[in-house]
Amino acid sequence: MSNRKNYGMIIDTRVCVGCSACVYACKSENAVPEGFCRDWVVQETSGSFPALSMENRSERCQHCDNAPCVTYCPTGASHYDEYGTVQINRSRCTGCKACMAACPYDARYVHPEGFIDKCTLCRHRLEKGLETACVSICPTRSLNLVDFNNMTPDSRALTSGKEVYRQKEHAGTEPRLFWISARNKPGA
Amino acid sequence: MKYGQNMSRRDFIRISSLFLAGAAAMPVIPAGILSGMGSRPEGKTDGKIVYSFCEHCFWRCGIAVHVSDGKVTKITGSEHHPLSNGRLCPRGAGGTGLLYDPDRLAHPLVRETRGGRQQYRKASWDEAVTIVAEKLYKIHGEYGPGAIAMLHHGFGVSFFKKMLSEIGVNKIAKPSYDLCCGPARQASVLTYGYPSDTPEGFDIMNSKYMIFFGTHFGENMHNTAVQEISEAIRRGAKIAVFDPRYSTLAGKAEHWLPIKPATDIAMMQALMHVLISENIYDKPFVDQYTVGFGELWDSVREMTPEKAAEITDVPAEAIRTVAREYAFHAPAAFVHSGRRTNWYGDALQRIRAIHILNALVGNFRMPGGVVAFQKFPLPQPPAAHEHPAYEKEAYSKYPFFPQDEPSNTIASHEIVQQAIAGEIKALLIYGVNLPETMTLGRQAALDALQKLDFSVAVDVLPSEVTGYVDVVLPECTYLERYDDLDNGRAFRTPFVALRQPAVKPMFETKPGSEIARMITDKWGLHGVFAPTVEAGLDKKLKLAGSSLEEIKKKGVLVMPATDLYRKPGEPLNLKTPSGKVELASAQLKAGGFDAVPKYMPHPEAPRDYYRMLTGRKPMLTFGRTANNRFLGDLASARENEVWVNTAVASKHSLTNGEYVHLKNQAGVVSEFPVKVKVTERIRQDAVYMVHGFGHSSKQLTWAYKRGASHNQLISRTDIDPAMGAVGFQNNFVTFVKEA
Amino acid sequence: MIESAREIISTKINPGVVPHLHIWEWHIPLYLFLGGIAGGLLLITSAMIVMKRHFGFGPKDEGEGCPCLAVRIGSVLSPALLGLGMLFLFLDLAHKLYVWAFYTTIQPTSPMSAGSWILIAFFPLAVLQAMVVNRKYVEGLGIPLVNSLIAWGDAHLVKVALLNAHIGVGLGIYTGILLSFFSARPLWSSSILGMLFLMSGISSAAALMLLLAPKDERHIYSRIDANAIWVELVIVGLFVLGGITGPANSHGAMMHLIAGDHLMAGMPYMYWFWGVFVLCGLLVPLLVEVLENAGVHLHLPPIAPVLVLTGGLVLRFLIVFAGQTWHTFM
Repeated sequence: MSNRKNYGMIIDTRVCVGCSACVYACKSENAVPEGFCRDWVVQETSGSFPALSMENRSERCQHCDNAPCVTYCPTGASHYDEYGTVQINRSRCTGCKACMAACPYDARYVHPEGFIDKCTLCRHRLEKGLETACVSICPTRSLNLVDFNNMTPDSRALTSGKEVYRQKEHAGTEPRLFWISARNKPGA
Repeated sequence: MKYGQNMSRRDFIRISSLFLAGAAAMPVIPAGILSGMGSRPEGKTDGKIVYSFCEHCFWRCGIAVHVSDGKVTKITGSEHHPLSNGRLCPRGAGGTGLLYDPDRLAHPLVRETRGGRQQYRKASWDEAVTIVAEKLYKIHGEYGPGAIAMLHHGFGVSFFKKMLSEIGVNKIAKPSYDLCCGPARQASVLTYGYPSDTPEGFDIMNSKYMIFFGTHFGENMHNTAVQEISEAIRRGAKIAVFDPRYSTLAGKAEHWLPIKPATDIAMMQALMHVLISENIYDKPFVDQYTVGFGELWDSVREMTPEKAAEITDVPAEAIRTVAREYAFHAPAAFVHSGRRTNWYGDALQRIRAIHILNALVGNFRMPGGVVAFQKFPLPQPPAAHEHPAYEKEAYSKYPFFPQDEPSNTIASHEIVQQAIAGEIKALLIYGVNLPETMTLGRQAALDALQKLDFSVAVDVLPSEVTGYVDVVLPECTYLERYDDLDNGRAFRTPFVALRQPAVKPMFETKPGSEIARMITDKWGLHGVFAPTVEAGLDKKLKLAGSSLEEIKKKGVLVMPATDLYRKPGEPLNLKTPSGKVELASAQLKAGGFDAVPKYMPHPEAPRDYYRMLTGRKPMLTFGRTANNRFLGDLASARENEVWVNTAVASKHSLTNGEYVHLKNQAGVVSEFPVKVKVTERIRQDAVYMVHGFGHSSKQLTWAYKRGASHNQLISRTDIDPAMGAVGFQNNFVTFVKEA
Repeated sequence: MIESAREIISTKINPGVVPHLHIWEWHIPLYLFLGGIAGGLLLITSAMIVMKRHFGFGPKDEGEGCPCLAVRIGSVLSPALLGLGMLFLFLDLAHKLYVWAFYTTIQPTSPMSAGSWILIAFFPLAVLQAMVVNRKYVEGLGIPLVNSLIAWGDAHLVKVALLNAHIGVGLGIYTGILLSFFSARPLWSSSILGMLFLMSGISSAAALMLLLAPKDERHIYSRIDANAIWVELVIVGLFVLGGITGPANSHGAMMHLIAGDHLMAGMPYMYWFWGVFVLCGLLVPLLVEVLENAGVHLHLPPIAPVLVLTGGLVLRFLIVFAGQTWHTFM
């Protein structure tokens, strides 16, 4: 057990259908302005007819342990917090957009009010012991909130025996979103 | 009275934006709720939670409506409601987009002719309701109750149903029967002796092998079913999908079999052939609990996988593999009957074939197989007035149309045809956007609307249909009203759910319960409805040993789980004529139809035309959400695309992302262009486009001109001669390049 | 991989990152261009001062420590252009009221934080140097504090100029480093970008001084310019080769720049890069200046410096835009 938390997600792409409930839940929960989103859904199909394969996944800020946005932020507005997540302090953000250029996941956008915005992993809900809005609405339970410093047996079981990957791991960002690949055979 | 007089034809009226929410009451729409800007500090969604149920699709999941300062800030899945189980689909989460839609109808409107021009004017509720009551009364007096009909879609219709039954009007149709669930319902009646329901009676969660024909869970976000499929996948279930298109569900499948469209029954017959010829069906079950096996075998004996392969374009070996795997995993295996089941006018037989495939492996009331969920036994208070003569009258001419559903006594296309023929003089349209609803296509709908003596629409939005009626009554949304109790859903834990208002009705809108009461009052029929809707609900709940006060807390009363599975040797006591599962239906035979399903070829596409297939996007429910800008905001929700196979695209020199018009076999060209999606995900003999786009009403400021209307391109319909459902997939389109 | 073998449906809508990053528009390339010229001007003027004061080289002394008129003007232009560039930088900020946040912290890992301090550090000595070389005008104002500063500066002018030369180089490199630290943007993620922008800044600055210099001083700047262009050409070659021979990310991004059909102001990147930047911005002026320096007088209007300046501007726009229109690090 560790007192320091390190929140992230384990996302099961085997069951995700790309419905986008997570996106709308986030937009309502976080008052995300019209025309913007903090999370989004990707449906990726590979192959050629009829040998096709598909992966659906809900994407968002990866709350990297080695986050280029934090590295690059000139004012310290982008920072790590005690939950192991990456946050933006709006009252220090100049809107210089360096973090947006630095993010290999294109997770950020310029809020119409000028500051840079992105997924907070619903920090205000974490503080109350709640799961994020996207996790709590997900009809397929593809999204799982996990404290990687205090893994429960349930969260360990999520990935055990399965092919799990992280996105753009070779960027050295140490992302905190783990993806259960859709390539796993049924019942893996 | 000016309305309706000297009106040989009803001009389409573009409702003045002055009568819509945006202009009427900008201050009433909380600034920035939709945009999310400046309305409240981030994450401050505390406040009260109102438990209700959703109206964005027919599934009716439980919702938790979060209200703060009298405004709905977000909607999540109710943790108490068995169908949502704390989770919700995107459409349910998007209810605020309807509630705060600036295009909402704000006032009652009455058609009038002024200076030779037809237009709507704002009317008081009393005036509008008086007109409706008088007109219906007059037509009733002159032509009898059979000259009045109602088309409805939506849970709030119950009050209008009751209102009409008070004057003996029972010509009531829901287009969803014709287009969607009808064939599955009646096929279940004919095979098992009881109608199929919502959620469909499949023990998905515990299944090990699931076969789907064309149904695309995941794109149709039926919350509970999607939750259970996900759970089944986690538990290792395998999926086989027969679909000309690589749907999201096909993306989850072990086997995707891109079947040639319109050949499904041949495939089902071949699967039966393999099950029987390889003797891997459940012989004891078939012997003990079914009738008509011999007739069935005779009918599929010739349909070898090799023969089916020629018809369906699926390799014979793949057919054998699926059949064997299915039998291997049975009884924890099923073939799903799907939703929106009517494609080619033979859906009753196709779904029958599905039920037969299920019966052959003996999965009836077995874990992971076909099950019969139970409904909450809610005692109904005695009716205030009895109209036995009318209630018994059957209206539909189709022999296997349901006889036991008061809210669906006739096919909606029969109403359209009777209106065109002048038999129906007055029509009440509740929540049905007729020109964009698939019954017989757009032109027939417009012809019917022109011909009526009187029509009234009860709606929330200025959808196309509201431009063609005499009176428009603006109902408030499902988030602003009580409705009847929902015990129409059968599930593992039977339940009854409450719809209750989260906020007060906005503008001059009223709940349906009040509108119906006002009309019956005008007729002098007082006491049809309880003094208040709350009192009526309370009375019903008291009969069930609860109260309105109690159910308001969680929005639902839930019973313990029922036992879904049969014991060895237990009699089935089915309500079919034989008391058994009817592989061959003597009823159908007596009606002059095939007792067992037989494959019949359907029309093929003309050269350079492609069969037009349809479906939906997960965040949209056709008309209900078309103008919802909160839901429409996402990149993939903004318009529909026409999916074109890569080879077809290259043949027609189409590039990905370009806009084309579509032209159908009857020469109808889509009003608006549609974006081409060049894809490997569809066969070369079909194209696919999502229904519910391409709206022509300018008052739907979001939906207007987005994508192309699928409905507009339906010129040919195939009506099931047995049960009256409408198939519309025998329509073919080609591409017309933008000049 | 076959193009059609991957189909993606995404719900993402954020403008600025969809369909590709376009968060930085004209402000940033202009700022980088002006910053580069400012750095180059400071380097050249400082070098001229050191050469004159310390080694006695250079054109005629005007008697106030200033080697020549061009240096006098260049010294003033350097901080002025940087100030203008910083104005564009400020205009680009989306949250302008919070600009102070740059100056309440030092973020050691952030080039932009370092840059914001470099920009501030640039001004005192550059302005001092400009005042010293222009003392005959400034002293006329009769501000005692200024005059004593000028007196101190004049006494230490060589040291000040040496320091300024380094600051100029630093600023020039910084304008490139600002981009090259973004490993998420494959085109920018090249450490030679700093040298490229430095040399481009120097050649542009030399070209600008060539335009400003009196006729008899021009040959100096022409020579500086020709040499800077020559070095810049080599660096451009290395930059391009490094990209082409790099892994898929860099290769794709470089091809997007040098062979891409993405449009900038209606013309594909490829034409901008080879036609406008390399040919018109580097090769033609190099040829003209080499010929001039070799004594072949073409009697042309000063097209060479104008072309160099245009090329330098186009380079900043190309790099900033092409870096954003290519996909993120994969």
